[in-house]
Amino acid sequence: MKKYFIFLKVSLLLVCSLMAVKKTEAQDLSSIIKGHFNGSFENYSQYYLKDSAIGATIPPDRFGSNSFLKLDYNYDKFSAGVQFEAYLPSVLGFFPLPVKSQSKILNKYFKYTDKKFSIQVGDFYEQFGSGLIFRAYENRQIGINNAMEGANIYVAPTDFLKMKFIYGRTRSLFEYANALSRGADAEVDLSKLFGAKNDALNASIGGSYIGKFQEYSGPRDDFPTTVNSFAGRFDISNSDFSIDGEYVVKGEDPNLLNSYSADKGRALQINGSFTKNNLGVSVTVRSLYNMNFQNDRDEEFLSVAPLNFVPALTKQHDYLTSNIYVYSAQVKGETGMQADIYYNFSSGTALGGKYGTKISANFSQYSGLDIDHKIISSGDEKYFSDANMEIKKKWNKKLETTIALQHIFYNSSVIRAVSADDVNANIIAIGALYKWASKKSFRVKFEHLSTKTDEKNWASGLAEFSFSSPYQFFVSDLYNYGKTNIHYYNLGASVTKNATRFSLAFGKQRAGLFCVGGVCRFIPASYGFTASLTTSFAN
Amino acid sequence: MQAAAHAQQDFPSVKLKNTAGKTIDFADLIREAKDTTLVFSFWATWCIPCITELDNISDEYKEKQSSMNFKFYGISIDDSRTTKRVKPFIQGKGWTFEVMMDVNSELKRALNITDVPHVLIIKDSKIVYRHTGYIAGEEDNLFDEIKKLQ
Repeated sequence: MKKYFIFLKVSLLLVCSLMAVKKTEAQDLSSIIKGHFNGSFENYSQYYLKDSAIGATIPPDRFGSNSFLKLDYNYDKFSAGVQFEAYLPSVLGFFPLPVKSQSKILNKYFKYTDKKFSIQVGDFYEQFGSGLIFRAYENRQIGINNAMEGANIYVAPTDFLKMKFIYGRTRSLFEYANALSRGADAEVDLSKLFGAKNDALNASIGGSYIGKFQEYSGPRDDFPTTVNSFAGRFDISNSDFSIDGEYVVKGEDPNLLNSYSADKGRALQINGSFTKNNLGVSVTVRSLYNMNFQNDRDEEFLSVAPLNFVPALTKQHDYLTSNIYVYSAQVKGETGMQADIYYNFSSGTALGGKYGTKISANFSQYSGLDIDHKIISSGDEKYFSDANMEIKKKWNKKLETTIALQHIFYNSSVIRAVSADDVNANIIAIGALYKWASKKSFRVKFEHLSTKTDEKNWASGLAEFSFSSPYQFFVSDLYNYGKTNIHYYNLGASVTKNATRFSLAFGKQRAGLFCVGGVCRFIPASYGFTASLTTSFAN
Repeated sequence: MQAAAHAQQDFPSVKLKNTAGKTIDFADLIREAKDTTLVFSFWATWCIPCITELDNISDEYKEKQSSMNFKFYGISIDDSRTTKRVKPFIQGKGWTFEVMMDVNSELKRALNITDVPHVLIIKDSKIVYRHTGYIAGEEDNLFDEIKKLQ
């Protein structure tokens, strides 16, 4: 542990001295040091207070703090970097189970990149196709980092062929999963292969393979220690339309989360889109069965060291009330679709006015698979649906308003895995942004959710003031007036200067699913202070 | 970070696809731009402050383009949950600047961007301005910064 602190200190000193020297002897520095350093630092800390009404628990020392320091160096075709992380201890709900305080360098890499070739050794992030078969990524907001330690090679031997190869083991919280994976992905650009004369039509096909090996010491002789997965995909597009799809087959993968099923996993996703003038339409259909793909077959949490990425394909809302009933993809089996329509009434038209009027509508619906798990079917038990629309209108340079309507169906028994009545909820949200002078603005938002089941009705209000850049203040409340009569109030301020932002807030956080990028984590209720600092720097 | 008179930076060679399906190498884009001012705004379809900022930039984009020499790129960090939404979304917004996709956040990570929205101005292969977060009116600041570089 000590050596990491020493490394951290040395790194910080190096960066600080580089930044200090920059101001005085910048030109001299550039002739001495080749290449380019850049980095970022992020801290998120919470101090917890007790509130038994909302069920907020207090950790022993009332404090949680997550820090990330990342440093990268680029010189010509070479790059290298490290990421240092400290959880002293981790903030509540960041990891699925409480973990001991710790700090260490968790990611390090060295990379060589040329036009048609690159190799990275160390910890890397990568994705094959849509990620349904393989995705290594980081999402700090919800505590996911499944970077792979090993080697990642990219080769483009011709202008129509791109290949990727990976080999390594996946990060699992602070350690590495006890499994080794290897994989390959190839994409053929058919338009280039057949020498299309222009760029009017793009067509490509691709295929992926991932094999995961984990030792097994149980009684079964024919236990699948290696799980082989394959995926095929296509993509056709021109300037106005696109259609693409991917089909994945995951080999027999008995694991705790699929109740040690001997079935293969399957997933099919097809996307289509159309754009013309001021109109954009997008439709996605997806079905999956037995598609959780964990490194460790005995893992009990989906978010710990997954190999693939199965997001909920629904709209991610920015409203407090919309985030009470959010869907998370049911990897055991689901089938459904999502459609989006975007339209801009141009400025100068009757409905557009001087600045145009923007409308968007979205619909999604997901159901369980039928009894024989066919992935091409209309489905069985309904899990979730969301129909919503939003109209955004800028009236003049100062005033902009938004109105949104939403209807949600939420199958609590399936999504929350507790026996409860289904929820049918209606939401209305209205908002306004008033900018009365340069960098002086005021934003308000009011929302209401009504439902006859679960916790019944909610109302919410938010006000945000920006008196003069770089300061911003906000106050919000989310109030349940059907069952608990609890106010989840928050107030806070932030200050931003270039690439540095500091914010401080005080209030109550509702327990529930917190989702970013389609991956959700259950966050316990909390009450107290939250401070966050983010900054990016470079020499 | 303000401009500093030092050597050209080495930018990471990250390959991004634009909405027309064409692959663009970020390092090449910077190199080939020479002294043209490049503005990169990192955003996502689920990030409301990002969209407010880009809507406001879009409203003034034509006018500013005619009076100043700069190229503006929106870099979408939407991942495979929402990446298919990006092109129809832009069309429905009527944005006319080019948008590129950073589907697994490779460029975002390489440039050490923590949160969106995040705006970078690059000129002569140097980052001369960067800003994180959005407060109404921030676009005025951005256009002022671009103007200084003319």
